[in-house]
Amino acid sequence: MSANSAPDFAEIAERLAELGRLSQQTADSLRDGHANPEQLQLLLEVSREALKGAAVLELVSEADRKRQENETFFHIGLKLSSALEPDELLRTIVESLRRIVDYDAAGILLVNRATNRVDEDFLLGYERSDSQRLQKKFKSSVPIGKGLVGWVVQHGEPVVVPDVSVDERYIRARDATRSEIAVPIISGTEVVGCLNLESDQLGRFSERDLGPLRTFASLVSVVLDRAHFHREMMDKKRLEEELSVARRIQLSFLPVTMPNFEPFDLGGMNFPTLEVGGDYYDFIPITPTDLGVAIGDVASKGVGAAILMASLRASLRLESRSNYAISTILRKVNDFLFDATSPERFVTAFYGVIDRRNKVLTYSNAGHNPPFIVRARQAIPLDTGGLLMGSFQNVGYQEARVDLRPGDVIVFYTDGVTEARNEHGEEFGVDRLLDLVRAYKDLGAMDMVRRICREVQRFESDDFLQDDLTLSIVKWQ
Amino acid sequence: MKLSTEKRDDIFLMTLKGKIMGGPESAQFHQALKDAIAKGERKAVLDLGGVEWMNSSGLGLLISGFTTLRNAGGEMKLARATEKIQSLLIITKLITVFETHDTVDAAVASF
Repeated sequence: MSANSAPDFAEIAERLAELGRLSQQTADSLRDGHANPEQLQLLLEVSREALKGAAVLELVSEADRKRQENETFFHIGLKLSSALEPDELLRTIVESLRRIVDYDAAGILLVNRATNRVDEDFLLGYERSDSQRLQKKFKSSVPIGKGLVGWVVQHGEPVVVPDVSVDERYIRARDATRSEIAVPIISGTEVVGCLNLESDQLGRFSERDLGPLRTFASLVSVVLDRAHFHREMMDKKRLEEELSVARRIQLSFLPVTMPNFEPFDLGGMNFPTLEVGGDYYDFIPITPTDLGVAIGDVASKGVGAAILMASLRASLRLESRSNYAISTILRKVNDFLFDATSPERFVTAFYGVIDRRNKVLTYSNAGHNPPFIVRARQAIPLDTGGLLMGSFQNVGYQEARVDLRPGDVIVFYTDGVTEARNEHGEEFGVDRLLDLVRAYKDLGAMDMVRRICREVQRFESDDFLQDDLTLSIVKWQ
Repeated sequence: MKLSTEKRDDIFLMTLKGKIMGGPESAQFHQALKDAIAKGERKAVLDLGGVEWMNSSGLGLLISGFTTLRNAGGEMKLARATEKIQSLLIITKLITVFETHDTVDAAVASF
């Protein structure tokens, strides 16, 4: 027995005595250096037993660790199924991880394909100044391929680094760090980020930690996928809400009931598409004898179109009450719309006034599909006017007067009617529209509108992008 | 929508093909035009011969292209407008604003 080992034996004997596995007397003899061979033999046997016990303990602790892991995963699973915010979930995951793999700092870093870098997304245990050192700002990032994190992302493989000071891939992000472990976060087959743990102790992590760490990385991936899905849902919902606002604006501006304007019978309908275009039609009572009739189509869809349509309606209604000539009204409306929008947004519109005392229609057409007066075999296009509105400044408009006759049907429409296409790509066209007006000329104006719209919808194939459909009719009974 | 550009003498020739529906696609067209103007281009011809279909938003693209060049002191002329586009230009009276030519050569020669 060497002099060096004697105190070690003594210490072991002392511990075993404390545990009641060895008599105090034997321990004392060992400490004083005059133990007899029997006492040494006893120490050996007891120690052997204790070693077996330690092996069992090791197994027990491994089982305990597994149980701990399972419990932790179960706990995280519960949180995942709740409606927590992604940041909150990532925090839960990273904090729970500590119960299984102890660390001093942890980070979730995500690949940014636009910049080809890995950006920090969630950090725990880093001081602000540590991170600032890396990039002079708090949100740090490293290029893919640089640093341990960049390496993991580039290769899609984990790293276990017992001593960061001797690993040449290592970039210092935190002063106290001595060892590090990192695994890739994988979504499908793509590396989307990295889960990284750092410790202030040398050799803190081992290959054995990779299993649970990989499981946690897959949990992170689930959270990220869910967050992405959630964001898409929210975007979709926001868009739908926007469209429903636009739809409400549009609907609120369309006539609910037709004014009584004998001997003329009025009818009109609008079928907005799901996307919401900017079709508009209006009957504006100006004086007991004068009725304004308008139809317009805003190029573009959604809220922008609805707002432009609102501007058109407001300015037209405002100007219609003035005593200006119709051509002047359109010039003023054009100037107003020009100031209100960018050039690619425009409106085509027709505005006219029917004087029921003199049975005269005065109108001006700003680039809109020409309405027609259907009179026996004739169809008179109402195309006098000028440029579409909103795109150009200082536009001049011309106006025309048409004497009306009993039995005249004036049909106003947007391109959703004439450009409706069937399965062969054929357009509905003006001729079909005029034929239907003639076919239904004995019906009331509203019934004519209803029948014709139904025919257009029956004609139209779902294969093509559909536009708003608007049709209105003024009929001299 | 497909856009290609080339230089013919001192004319910046843009060729549009496919369905012209404006919206997000038009960003590419506007960028090409902006870059050309930045390089000093002031005379542009837009070849529409390969356009299959155009809606009102597509028309908006033509208008803003025209306006952009005019605001820079330049001019954009149209070549080979299809029957459908021609009829859109007539209805909207844009025909009074745009100069149109039956062939690209005629449009190029008209400057």
